[in-house]
Amino acid sequence: MSKLEELKLELKNLGREYAKIKTLDPAERKAFGEKLNAKKQGLLAEIKALEDAAFSEDLPALDFSAPFGENAPKFTYKKGTKHPLTTELSIVGEIYRNMGFNVIEARQLDDEFHMFESLNFPEGHPARDGYDTFRTEEGFIPPAHTSTMQYRALTRFRGNLEEKGQIAVVVPGRVFRNEDVDATHEHTFYQCEGVFVSRSANMGQLLSVLKTFFETYYGQKLNIKTQPGYFPFTEPSLEFQIEKPAALGGKGDGWLEMCGCGMVHPNVLKTAGIDPEVYKGFAWGGGIDRLVMLKYGINDVRYFESGKLDFLKEF
Amino acid sequence: MLISLNEIKKLVKVDLTDAELVKLIGSRLVEVESVTDLKEKYKKIYLVKVLSAEDIEGTHLHLCKIDAGEELGHSVQVVCGAPNVHAGMLAAWIAPGAIVPATFGTNEPFEIAVRKLHGFESNGMLAAADELALGTDHAGIIELSPDLTAAPGTPLTDVLDLDDKIIEVENKSLTHRPDCFGLIGFAREVAGILGQQFVEPRLPQIDCEAKKGSITIESPDLCPCYSYSVINLENPLAKKPYFDFGDVFLAKAGMHSISPIVDVTNIYMLLTGQPLHAFDYDKFLKVGGTAEPKIGVRLAREPESLTLLDGSNVKLTQHDIVITSNDVPVALAGAMGGELTKIDETTERVILESATFSLCNLRKTQMAHGIFSEAITRFTKGQPAANCEPVLLAATQDIVDVSQRAQAEFYAVHYAAPLAPIVITLTTKEINALLGSSYTPELIIQTLENTGFAVKPAGETLTVTAPAWRTDIHIKEDIIEEVGRLLGFDNLPLNFPLRPFVCPSVDELWTLKEQLRTLLSDRLDANELLTYSFVSKSLQEKAGEDVTDSYKIVNSLSPELECFRQTLVPSLLEKLRENQKAGYKERTLYELNQVTRKSLGLNDEGVPVMETDLGVVMPGDFYAAKAVLLELEKYLGVKFKLSRLETDGTFEPVHAAAIYLNETKVGQIGEIKTGVCRAFKLGETASALELTLDKLLGQKTQRTAKIALSRFPSVSRDLTVRVDADTAFEQVEAAIRAALSQNTGLLYTIEPVSIFRKEETSKNLSFHLEMTSTEKTLESKEISAIIEKITNSLTELGAEVV
Repeated sequence: MSKLEELKLELKNLGREYAKIKTLDPAERKAFGEKLNAKKQGLLAEIKALEDAAFSEDLPALDFSAPFGENAPKFTYKKGTKHPLTTELSIVGEIYRNMGFNVIEARQLDDEFHMFESLNFPEGHPARDGYDTFRTEEGFIPPAHTSTMQYRALTRFRGNLEEKGQIAVVVPGRVFRNEDVDATHEHTFYQCEGVFVSRSANMGQLLSVLKTFFETYYGQKLNIKTQPGYFPFTEPSLEFQIEKPAALGGKGDGWLEMCGCGMVHPNVLKTAGIDPEVYKGFAWGGGIDRLVMLKYGINDVRYFESGKLDFLKEF
Repeated sequence: MLISLNEIKKLVKVDLTDAELVKLIGSRLVEVESVTDLKEKYKKIYLVKVLSAEDIEGTHLHLCKIDAGEELGHSVQVVCGAPNVHAGMLAAWIAPGAIVPATFGTNEPFEIAVRKLHGFESNGMLAAADELALGTDHAGIIELSPDLTAAPGTPLTDVLDLDDKIIEVENKSLTHRPDCFGLIGFAREVAGILGQQFVEPRLPQIDCEAKKGSITIESPDLCPCYSYSVINLENPLAKKPYFDFGDVFLAKAGMHSISPIVDVTNIYMLLTGQPLHAFDYDKFLKVGGTAEPKIGVRLAREPESLTLLDGSNVKLTQHDIVITSNDVPVALAGAMGGELTKIDETTERVILESATFSLCNLRKTQMAHGIFSEAITRFTKGQPAANCEPVLLAATQDIVDVSQRAQAEFYAVHYAAPLAPIVITLTTKEINALLGSSYTPELIIQTLENTGFAVKPAGETLTVTAPAWRTDIHIKEDIIEEVGRLLGFDNLPLNFPLRPFVCPSVDELWTLKEQLRTLLSDRLDANELLTYSFVSKSLQEKAGEDVTDSYKIVNSLSPELECFRQTLVPSLLEKLRENQKAGYKERTLYELNQVTRKSLGLNDEGVPVMETDLGVVMPGDFYAAKAVLLELEKYLGVKFKLSRLETDGTFEPVHAAAIYLNETKVGQIGEIKTGVCRAFKLGETASALELTLDKLLGQKTQRTAKIALSRFPSVSRDLTVRVDADTAFEQVEAAIRAALSQNTGLLYTIEPVSIFRKEETSKNLSFHLEMTSTEKTLESKEISAIIEKITNSLTELGAEVV
């Protein structure tokens, strides 16, 4: 007789035991009943465990390493993908929105005024050479930086200064530089510009806002540092760096240059109809492609605009 | 730009380690791109004395014995091919195991080994200037002055000031700082960031007659200051006999010795940032045909041309500034001297020029003629007029000293306008407000004075006079930057702006794009691409577009990227083909991006109207694209109308339609022309959908979900209707809907199942109906009544339920 059969027999016999209850003194009946019940429950549990084990034993073993079952169709999921750059732009825009910034997108064909004049580049100044701009026959410029949108952001949201005491805008967009293309240089890439104006804007705030953004983006506290820079449209001008975050394999060593920034030059405010004696501003701009390359370990910037599904299917 | 830390340390007391100093320079002055340790670069290279040098017969080689000192050997054998090797000379020896400095830090460092030449063992090599990366000369090995007191075997680093570190800094962030393009100016900043008062070095100053001279400047803007001196060398200057510290000084800056006079001009340029140019006085007079120098500074007049020092003949443009001798151009100002007035070994008299020119003109010269010399790099930063005269007087004195017999005859200076100091008035409160700092007035004043600013405090107010070399100081913020930078931006306390308790407004276009990406990628299984905004003419032609309507890029990288694209579809068709070839057959591709065409005109700002488009392409016929459009309608809560497409280059007019939203054309949809498909090498029918998103903005209607649930069971019926072949689907569907909607309390859905064309004149449309009542369980006679209503409604349309 198997163990299971023995237990079942025992359970059957237990039923008969119950009959004895009538012969007992009423004072003893309760204790007797409880004892039998406990025994019954124990037997039932033992029987269930044995039966489950017997059932499992009958199941065929699986190859957990196999991608799908034998004689079964392969599971397939949908293959729709979003481009990693636009995904990142959404994430970046969302963080800034949560910080109180309006998000507007940059134009892809602009003019000298927005590219240079409105940003305090004097006519014919050598600083214009640093931007390697393309030009159309009509003299229009595919923008070489998203700062082309500063004048528009300042004039469009000027009313906010009265209503809310500040202008806070970020402008992601596609920009273009006339330079030779290789694994780390593209003629077409993405940037995100930011500008903030209020009566009391200062450099400490600029550094705090950028630090907060990157800490949110990388999900950790980060050390920051700066380097003096030169842009005609900011004064003072800086290059902003963060320590290499853990998400990118950083171990407290190494720095990443993230964006150029500074206090908005009074001439830029003035051109946009804002009194620089009353209002101060800070602005910054940095590349998006590099954020994505670092994030996924992509080693060739040219993949982004290749349109190749071999690459895009990974995202 | 290359900067020697040793040169900086000669001008500033530095108590930090080199690493700390480089870090401070990086955070408070300029980005340091690289640091080269010369001690490493010149390891195992020694000063040696050549004891003997005998010809090896039948070769140009010499068998030499050298004295390399006690440790390395008093008689080491080296084979040397240089013609100038001779017994008794002091030379530089690259010992076996050393890396040839010219290859140091490159991908292929060359290590010297002991090897045999013509049967003779050669232990290392005697080095020429180019091998040492200390010049370009390869005609012979370098010979050092016999007056050197260092013993043979002394490391070369100790003999020639090569125990040094060279930092390469990024020029771009010093675009506004002409003073930092000289070692003195750079060192002044280092003093400032170390919190030290900079002690200005005393430059030599020639004592000679100041004359008015003959200087004509066409317009003051072109040349704020022109100064020159005339030096009589008495005898032509011979090339200096020995390699010396001057060569090393130039080499550390990436330059090399040319001739004694040119070397002096270059050394002063490296020290002060002020470039100088030397003309041969007699040649200068000859060109102009005058007895005295008649110097002019003017714009070139087309079609003038000029042969430059490097032998190239350039056609001058109207933006080029030229130096003239009696109105004949002799030099391209700021860029390069002319061949006709070049100094050489016969030069007896020199005109030494120290001037500054319009940086905007020089920038154009730089671009037009592709000249990127050390001098023009400095001039295009706008060298200050105040520097011309002192640097001229110093360099003149130096040339006189170098030649020993020479005499300065006179000098002349011409200022376009009197030099006026730049004075800025601001308060310490303004400084602290912009920086977010709380620096004391004392600290601010000291910091500014350390680098040459003069500060007069009056209570809170500071009157700051900028030093003459700071041509970049114009406004209060420039002073505030100096304070913040020199004291370290990294030391500023972090604080946040206060923010009103409002939610930032949402940009409708941005949101729409996000929605579309979610719909297309996550629900419709499409793949998002980004492709270039620049396309070729041929791509547009292949897609049947009017190339003349696209904006043309005049300086495009290649013909492939010559035009700004008019629509997204051609780029996407190209990628459809490429991906199909790569094995992705049944994919739907889309892109959300900006396009423009000349015919869209300009907006109020005078810039081209841009459209943000959605472009979708896929294999398949019209209805493949229509399926996407139907989902868009549902998802966006809009109702599009399709109507005949006007003739189009890309779409097949009979199998494509214009998309309308509230009477506005917002896009097109349908099959790509067979010819276009062929041009793109697409094997099968392809379709596309184009929507101008800007036109969808502000058009949103309420998107209601048609959900009404009943607790009663639902009944389904299939219905097939035969209609005339040219009856529109929507008419039939409307008739069914109209009949169903007459029943109160009836919830229903109509699902098209199939469209079947049996014969020429008619077609069968099948629908699946789901019906339920909100009031009760429907009985079969009630259902029959509903179907009868439908049948009647369809009969009126001339349709027949089968």
